[in-house]
Amino acid sequence: MVNLPNTPADIVPFIISIITSHTFITLVIFPGMIHLMIVSAFLTWYERKLLARIQLRIGPLYAGGIGGILQPVADGVKLIFKEVIVPYKADRTLFTWIPLVLIFLGTLPFAVIPFGAHWVIANLDVGLVFVFATTSLFPSMIIIFAWASNSKYPFIGGLRSLFQQVAYEIPMWISALSVVILAGSVNLVDIVKAQSKIWFIVPAFLSFIVFFICIMAELERLPFDLPEAEPELVAGWYTEASGAIFMALFLALYLKLYMMSALTTVLFLGGWWGPGFLPQPVWTILKAMVVATAIIIPRGIYPRIRVDMLIRIGWTRLLLIALANVFITVLVVNSGLLTAWGL
Amino acid sequence: MEVSLAVPPDAVFIVLTVITLLAAILALQAKELIYGAIALGVSFIGIAGFFILLDAPYLAMLQIAIYVGAVVVLILFTIMLVRRDVGEEVVERGERGESAAGLWIAGLLAVAIAGVAALAGPNLASSPPPGVLSVSDLGPVLVTEYPVPLIILALLLSAALLGALMLAKVER
Repeated sequence: MVNLPNTPADIVPFIISIITSHTFITLVIFPGMIHLMIVSAFLTWYERKLLARIQLRIGPLYAGGIGGILQPVADGVKLIFKEVIVPYKADRTLFTWIPLVLIFLGTLPFAVIPFGAHWVIANLDVGLVFVFATTSLFPSMIIIFAWASNSKYPFIGGLRSLFQQVAYEIPMWISALSVVILAGSVNLVDIVKAQSKIWFIVPAFLSFIVFFICIMAELERLPFDLPEAEPELVAGWYTEASGAIFMALFLALYLKLYMMSALTTVLFLGGWWGPGFLPQPVWTILKAMVVATAIIIPRGIYPRIRVDMLIRIGWTRLLLIALANVFITVLVVNSGLLTAWGL
Repeated sequence: MEVSLAVPPDAVFIVLTVITLLAAILALQAKELIYGAIALGVSFIGIAGFFILLDAPYLAMLQIAIYVGAVVVLILFTIMLVRRDVGEEVVERGERGESAAGLWIAGLLAVAIAGVAALAGPNLASSPPPGVLSVSDLGPVLVTEYPVPLIILALLLSAALLGALMLAKVER
């Protein structure tokens, strides 16, 4: 319910009441749009800098003074002003619209991911299922974009992305199942609240390992970056993207990286819980950055595996380990050990 | 002046219905198979919207995850494995007589459903049964409390089955 202005004098208080409303602040400032744009831009700089340090290079240096922190801004301006080249005989509609859909899908899960007890846009009862439902749409959008490019390498990359989804998705869901059993809820706020005494990484450690490997595959990070394998496929499914379209895809990928890091934090690393000298959202962001670092570092270290290896790992190892941990979790919950730990 | 920003549910229902039906028609009529797959996904998302309207958000999310996230992916796999150049038409339009017959059957089915619903009229249960239902209670409740929706569902399912048979029929 909103009070619409009756007289011109009411307009300013009306605008102020909108801007200071909980919905507006959570939606636009934090944890909504502005925060997401800043952090995902920061992540691009952070990844380049970190990988450069691993490979004994310096990385971005000049833009913005301190370690080239304004490099993402420079990249963004450069990419916006570059020409968008649509390949010959490509499907123009899909080629230009799918990147926007990907940004939309990358932003959507943040609606339910809590950054603090009250710092959540929508406290949805089916939060975790909502996140999985939206992220499961990514690979199909990728293959549609790859198909629309009408080019050989994007097509191979897109197909690999679909194969990858077949491999990682089911182990990922089942590894999250032990968290759901421990918390007794799929509401992400409730899941974090249930970790006030002990983080779920302790009782569900195997699940955490499986979940982490699965999000590496989901995010197309080495050793699972088959869809964009640079040495084999030029740049994989986004080979033909250029200019603003490339920027949109890049933004969507880094939004997804941040989203998966935050989700891991919420599910396994206690979400906003931490010593009281920092506010709750800061803890969530710090933990998410630690997870993001752990996701980025293997890119400088590990070689790539083949797609059949990934599928075999997914269905024979990861699935079994995740199921074993669900079994262990049920035993633990039934044996009353959790009450001994104060849960 | 207090104004509610909430949209009336009827308007949402109508918009969802239009989107779902249009997407379903496009899924069948699209010249490019991949547009058909996308339209099918949109139609599934519309059905998820109906589930949200019916206060079943969990079902809605699973609808998106399973139907859009998995079934559409399966269809995309099939389309991708049949490689051809972008822009070529593969879907052959049915002959005039066939589409006319399809329209006739669809119209008859709509009339039949409307007739059943009108005859049942006041018997159409609109409120959920009280209390928590166990799985073993489900069958009796379906037959005794909700016979009309059950019959309409049966009609729709048989129509879908006939359509699938027609599509899969091999011309000899």
